[in-house]
Amino acid sequence: MAKFIFKGGVHIPNPYPVEKPEIKQVPPPKQAVLLLQQRVGGEAKPCVEIGEHVLTGQIIAQTTGNFPTNVHASISGIISAIEKRPIPHPSGINAMCIVIDSDGKDEWVKIEKCDKEFLNCSAQEIVQKIREAGIVGMGGAGFPTHAKIDNAQGAHTLIINATECEPGIMCDDSLIQEYPREIIRGIEVLMHACGAKKVIVAIEDDKQEAFNSLLMYSFNDRISVEQIPTKYTSGAEKLLIKALLGIEIPSGAYASDHGILCQNVGTVKAIYDAVIDNRPLISRVVTVTGSGVRKPRNYEARLGTSFASVVECSEPNENQHQIRMGGMMMGVDIPNAQYSICKITNCIFVNNEEPKPVVKECIRCSSCVSVCPANLLPQQLYWHAKSENIEKALEYNLMDCIECGCCNYVCPSNIPLSEYFSFAKALDRKLKREEQKTDQSRERFEFREYRLERNKKERAEMMAAKKKALKEKMAKDKDKDQSQKDKIAAAMARVKKTKEDNA
Amino acid sequence: MMESVVIFSILTLVLGLVLGYAALRFKVKGNPLVDQIDAILPQTQCGQCNFPGCRPYAEALAKGEAQINQCPPGGQEGVDALAELLDLEVLELNAEHGETKPDHVVYVDEKLCIGCTLCIQACPVDAFVGSSKVMTTVIARECTGCDLCIPVCPVDCIYVRELKPTLGTYVPDLQGIPHG
Amino acid sequence: MHSTGLNTNQIMRQVIYALILGVSASYVFFGWGIIVQILLGVVSALLVESVIVTMRGRNAFDSLSDGSAVLTAILLAVSIPAIAPWWVVVVGVAFAIIFGKQLYGGLGNNPFNPAMLGYAFLLISYPLQMTTWPVDFLSASQAIDVIFNTVSFDGLSGATRLDEVKTSLSLGSELSTLQIHSTSQAWINAGFLFGGVYLLIRKVIFWQVPVALLSGLIIMALLISAFDSQQHLPVQNHLMLGGTMLAAFFIATDPVSASTTPKGKLVYGFLIGVLIVIIRVYGGYPDGVAFAVLLMNMTVPLIDYYTQPKAFGRS
Repeated sequence: MAKFIFKGGVHIPNPYPVEKPEIKQVPPPKQAVLLLQQRVGGEAKPCVEIGEHVLTGQIIAQTTGNFPTNVHASISGIISAIEKRPIPHPSGINAMCIVIDSDGKDEWVKIEKCDKEFLNCSAQEIVQKIREAGIVGMGGAGFPTHAKIDNAQGAHTLIINATECEPGIMCDDSLIQEYPREIIRGIEVLMHACGAKKVIVAIEDDKQEAFNSLLMYSFNDRISVEQIPTKYTSGAEKLLIKALLGIEIPSGAYASDHGILCQNVGTVKAIYDAVIDNRPLISRVVTVTGSGVRKPRNYEARLGTSFASVVECSEPNENQHQIRMGGMMMGVDIPNAQYSICKITNCIFVNNEEPKPVVKECIRCSSCVSVCPANLLPQQLYWHAKSENIEKALEYNLMDCIECGCCNYVCPSNIPLSEYFSFAKALDRKLKREEQKTDQSRERFEFREYRLERNKKERAEMMAAKKKALKEKMAKDKDKDQSQKDKIAAAMARVKKTKEDNA
Repeated sequence: MMESVVIFSILTLVLGLVLGYAALRFKVKGNPLVDQIDAILPQTQCGQCNFPGCRPYAEALAKGEAQINQCPPGGQEGVDALAELLDLEVLELNAEHGETKPDHVVYVDEKLCIGCTLCIQACPVDAFVGSSKVMTTVIARECTGCDLCIPVCPVDCIYVRELKPTLGTYVPDLQGIPHG
Repeated sequence: MHSTGLNTNQIMRQVIYALILGVSASYVFFGWGIIVQILLGVVSALLVESVIVTMRGRNAFDSLSDGSAVLTAILLAVSIPAIAPWWVVVVGVAFAIIFGKQLYGGLGNNPFNPAMLGYAFLLISYPLQMTTWPVDFLSASQAIDVIFNTVSFDGLSGATRLDEVKTSLSLGSELSTLQIHSTSQAWINAGFLFGGVYLLIRKVIFWQVPVALLSGLIIMALLISAFDSQQHLPVQNHLMLGGTMLAAFFIATDPVSASTTPKGKLVYGFLIGVLIVIIRVYGGYPDGVAFAVLLMNMTVPLIDYYTQPKAFGRS
């Protein structure tokens, strides 16, 4: 059992439990809208053109940098558009997407079976394969997996995050129950890729069947499966590390700096597919649940499938719905179901529309302080964020906030505290950007002034030097002139004398 | 009676000396005022304030020879910040100096450029790359949006591009968050 | 998603319900006076708050529906003598709501406990009315007569037990000769104690402030009486006389004016308890609850600053 139980966090029972979480396969969609940008970072560049025919698994957008990841076609068909489409983000900003119209055949690109046993591949080769497959953190964070593994080379412990602590989401639970063998294999690949000597698979104690399946298939004595108490935010990386190993990663540092690599169990399955089966990331398991659907279930859907078609399979009722991508605590409210599944869509919540609770004034009750898993003072952060006093908010450790939403959950005045914190963080980034830009502009302006001054001075010096040289030349010429005149006068005198002599 | 007068006079003297000493000994070494004002100004270097750059305007403000509401790129927020720093009354942005335009950069339509270099000479932060009879272009990252280059171009090939928020630069609207 | 716990309106209502036991005990001993004061206070609170909130340009109904004005009025009405003239509670409540709450921006923004601010104002401005307490049961008609017509019923009013003891001790009497126990006060305090425990069980208030306050009070009382047990009340009387239990569970626990960090709450409560005893023994007023609370309200920002919990990852 875990050594450390963090203070704070909330116990939220699963609001829509199911008898047995199973995965239903959703047929490939008629149209796939594939997002080219995952997390905040650059975009992958399309390497196909409109009208081109692509096969399932073919790479359609590539990247050279570390952050954006490769994108592969999730169905076979014709590229019908490469344009900006709305994405499920609170800003409502559109981002570049590639749209494929299916040809109905779902023809796969030729898969070359790996002839080398993965243990004979070097760690670099495995990371390269993961990179080419375009794998990102499947728990919802979306961090490029190859970059994370690269940073964690030489790690001593690998932690597999199978906690799935956000209530209502069950995709990881079902994944473990249906593919335990593949997951254990994927863990071994990952172990080899990062060089870890020990693996701990962390799972919440309310997922007994998943725990048993893993135990049944794990014969590697370097892999241990541990249960941790069920509490929301037990799956937050730093808190999990403290729970399992007793190490508190300092604020601002990464787990990889301390020799620990943490990966979600869905990512591990994707790694198995990529390294063992050579299949790129083109589908994922999505939970559809909520008060607005009659059959909450998990679906394995191709990336780019529209939310609406997946939600249909769960038999939504006739009420007006409020849709949310992600979990109930950390998800994003979206206005309709016209978005498509991307690599980080782990859950779609479809709830009956309810009137929003009335927001009242903060009464400083400190319920938020008692549930904050990061030991912050959400109340103080709220006051300072609201008055846009970012400096003060940073003093109260704004940057350590993991935006888990526990404070929103308990606030008796229904204040959406974590929205204020997202705002404060975005404002801080903006102020830092602006400061950098103004410093740069000021420098360039001052240099330009200096440059113009310098040019003027150089010109003046050059003119002065030229003048001096001209003056000297003129003086020299004057002398020459005089000697010339003397010669002429002398010659004329000689001529005159000769004339006189001859007369 | 005399005693209380004497006592209070001595007390005043002593406390006055203590305060004076403390004011000297614990003096906070702050930036000179001009630097502080310059830090608030947006460094667009456009000259709309009627001064040849942000620093001359800051110097004039420090001397009290200019009003705080002459800078359109700083917007009303800039005026408010200057009012707070200089302990002056908050004024409304003076529309005579121009209006606050949304964040933008300029770009050159290279097909039309004739290489006259007038824009290069006009730019206060050297954001142009080009030379005589050679095509010119703008380094967008350095452009401050001062627009001094637009009127001098003889073929009108410089245009404005507004900077739209991206996923990385998006700031949620504070007023949009539900509040009591 | 939101927890099914209490929201702000419900919290205020629960506190009002928890006061019922203590108020009933007061009624049993002293009759209808307290009921009339409460009614007067609540009506004036509602009136004053709606006028001021409308003047501030906001919705009066929203502001009144959270019950905080009513709670302030009840707490003040319970703290003043039950036979005080009607204008005492009206002026006190008006002062509390205007200067103690709305001036700072309404609910959640006031640094001082509004009820205690009103009480302190009344105590300083109308010392005679604020120190004349009922000594016997008053019927409804008697209560209304006294409160509205300011007819004084000799034999029906006097000082509190704390006040009597303090005066006698200062005149030189020995503690052992004095009647220091007061049944009525003990029952009233017990009523508020049980109400407070109910609030703790329902998680309406956090345990830190009441526990710290009572500990501070007990420790200080023990210290003082250890020095001279003849001149100072023993600790159990400090607990059961005056407004101790009301302070511990209802007044010092007001979330808006109390400290916000867990450790800070302990410091805050403890020092209030200490101050209550100090003011009672060495101060000029018989009961020190109001001033102790107001003094500690002033120090809350300082306490909060120095008792910040260590954020995760920064130890």
